[in-house]
Amino acid sequence: MLLLLDILTTAAILFVVAIGLLAVFGVLKIINFAHGAWLTIGAYCAVVTGKLGLNPWAALPIAFVVGAALGGLAEYVIIRPLYRRPLDAILATWGLGIVVGQLITLAFGRDVQLTPNLLSGTVEILGTGYSAYRLVALVAALVIGAVFALVIERTRLGLSARAVIMNETLARSLGLDTARVRLVVFMIGAGLAALAGVLLTPLTSVDPTMGVGWLIGAFMLVMVADTSFLALAAACLVFGAAQVLVSTFVSPVLGSIAVAVLAALVLRISPKGFSRA
Amino acid sequence: MSTRPLVGALAALVLTASPVLAAEKPIVIGVPVGLSGANSVVAPSVVQAAELAVEEINAGGGVLGRKLALEVADDASGAAGAQKAFDALIYQKKVDVIIAMETSAARNAGLPAVTKGRVPYIYTSFYEGHSCNKNLFVNGWVPEQQVPPVIDAFAKDKNAKTYFLIGSDYAFGRGMLAFTRAYIEKTGAKVVGEEYLPMDGSDWTAIISKLKEAKPDALVTSTAGGAPNVTLTKQLRGAGVTLPYANLAVDEGTAKSMGKDADGIYLSASYVTGIDSPQNKAFLAAMEKKFGAGLRTPNDLSVPEYEAIYLYKAAVEKAGSTETAKVLAALPTVTATGPRGTIGMSKQHHAPLTMYLGQVQGDGSVKVVGTFKDVDPGEQCPKLD
Repeated sequence: MLLLLDILTTAAILFVVAIGLLAVFGVLKIINFAHGAWLTIGAYCAVVTGKLGLNPWAALPIAFVVGAALGGLAEYVIIRPLYRRPLDAILATWGLGIVVGQLITLAFGRDVQLTPNLLSGTVEILGTGYSAYRLVALVAALVIGAVFALVIERTRLGLSARAVIMNETLARSLGLDTARVRLVVFMIGAGLAALAGVLLTPLTSVDPTMGVGWLIGAFMLVMVADTSFLALAAACLVFGAAQVLVSTFVSPVLGSIAVAVLAALVLRISPKGFSRA
Repeated sequence: MSTRPLVGALAALVLTASPVLAAEKPIVIGVPVGLSGANSVVAPSVVQAAELAVEEINAGGGVLGRKLALEVADDASGAAGAQKAFDALIYQKKVDVIIAMETSAARNAGLPAVTKGRVPYIYTSFYEGHSCNKNLFVNGWVPEQQVPPVIDAFAKDKNAKTYFLIGSDYAFGRGMLAFTRAYIEKTGAKVVGEEYLPMDGSDWTAIISKLKEAKPDALVTSTAGGAPNVTLTKQLRGAGVTLPYANLAVDEGTAKSMGKDADGIYLSASYVTGIDSPQNKAFLAAMEKKFGAGLRTPNDLSVPEYEAIYLYKAAVEKAGSTETAKVLAALPTVTATGPRGTIGMSKQHHAPLTMYLGQVQGDGSVKVVGTFKDVDPGEQCPKLD
């Protein structure tokens, strides 16, 4: 039971971290290597929220808005000219990530930052106390996933986004303002990354390089999931399970590379990853 | 009007000028530290401690009538940077001595240059032990001094018989826990689990579940400093772990940034700011006065740097010269009294130290709950004595 909860919550955290990257990759066809930096921005929004004495949960909307606004700026200034040069876009977003990291260092220093507790304590489940916050993370992942699904399936923006994913030239010739769709999707992706950053604060140290480790994992998951968020959810479950099981029964050192090894294996066997299903 | 007063004045000028000329060549202390890289969080506090020691000694007339001067170099916290920093300090800056807190990788990379360039080297960081070189002296703690106070206290006060060990997967983390395991087993208690995560790993979920399943009496962790330590502690607290918990890698600064999560953690150190001695209070006041708002909290890595400069002063004064052979002969025989007490590097180039068992309080401060006088560093370098 404990094992099952570990698997579900680990998958939920992976999903929360990767969903913003998936949104950008799906519509814009570029890998946003500044994703880790936006996670960090979100976490520092939690730091600032704490310093201002606001309710810790207020960091969630604040981070989403700040992340989306900065994301919009980055898209307009840096990413927009690079859509036709995806390799240059990798370089540019990676560089952007470094710049953001350094700016955060200049403003806050290299030190680990203190963040207010979103939720502490444990919940009694079948005789053992389980981290209440991890259960909240599970709920958060479900909510984010559901909202994401609604936006994609039921809104005009979702329809436009799907049109751009399927055939951008055709979408544009039908009168869709594809540049605007890209801008909005990038802003949503950046906002989701910042939101994930806040959700990570109770689980991880908040420092200028905190995003890097999570970026790599998210990147692997998105490579495997391609553009489908259902495939992403499946990938998170499978990889999260692998990570927890290998860590528990073999060695945590091997468990931490389980995601990378599995991603390579899956792509070797099936180049379209989980999205074919 | 005679010219005699003018001649007299000139003569007086020449007479007073000559000691000034002699004093112009200061004794230069090389300080290679990790201003960039892993040690960059702690390095500024080390440099500040060195600056205060030099200022105080110079204000008191210097050493053998000569002033002290610092030459700080960035070793980038690693081997490659340290080689460059040591070469530059020893061959270009011609320093008289190296006194520095560094990573073990940087220390090992610097030793060949120290041996070849024939300068004394006082290493002021705690480390995993057994680094031996005739030019090298150490005034920080080794595992033999840090671990026993915690385990003894857990055995006596908490009646702990089973332990769980968690660490980061690198030389210092594994080295500390290997010693901890050996010591626990020597005292007749049992280790029921020992788990590691890579240094950049951030998901301790499976390890924490194993810990809860093993139901030990106490927990000992030795992660890399900073981020991994904070991450592990947050996740432990999130999972509701309330065991007696000793953290071998935590310092007061890190404890503060953990906030409430650090409450109750035990740590073992040769320096905590709460040491109740006149020397420590004077030291803290002097640091506060010199650096004001820019002060980096003095810690177990910066205070030994301060004291080592006084140890070097004592050795040079006893030797009557800065000549390396004479200073090396004098170093194990002298002591200096500083914030950590009276310390000499008398045991195989290592120092018996008074260790403090501290417990982190709710406000992030560290309360001293046990004092262990002059803990012996054990057999570190039997061939050097």
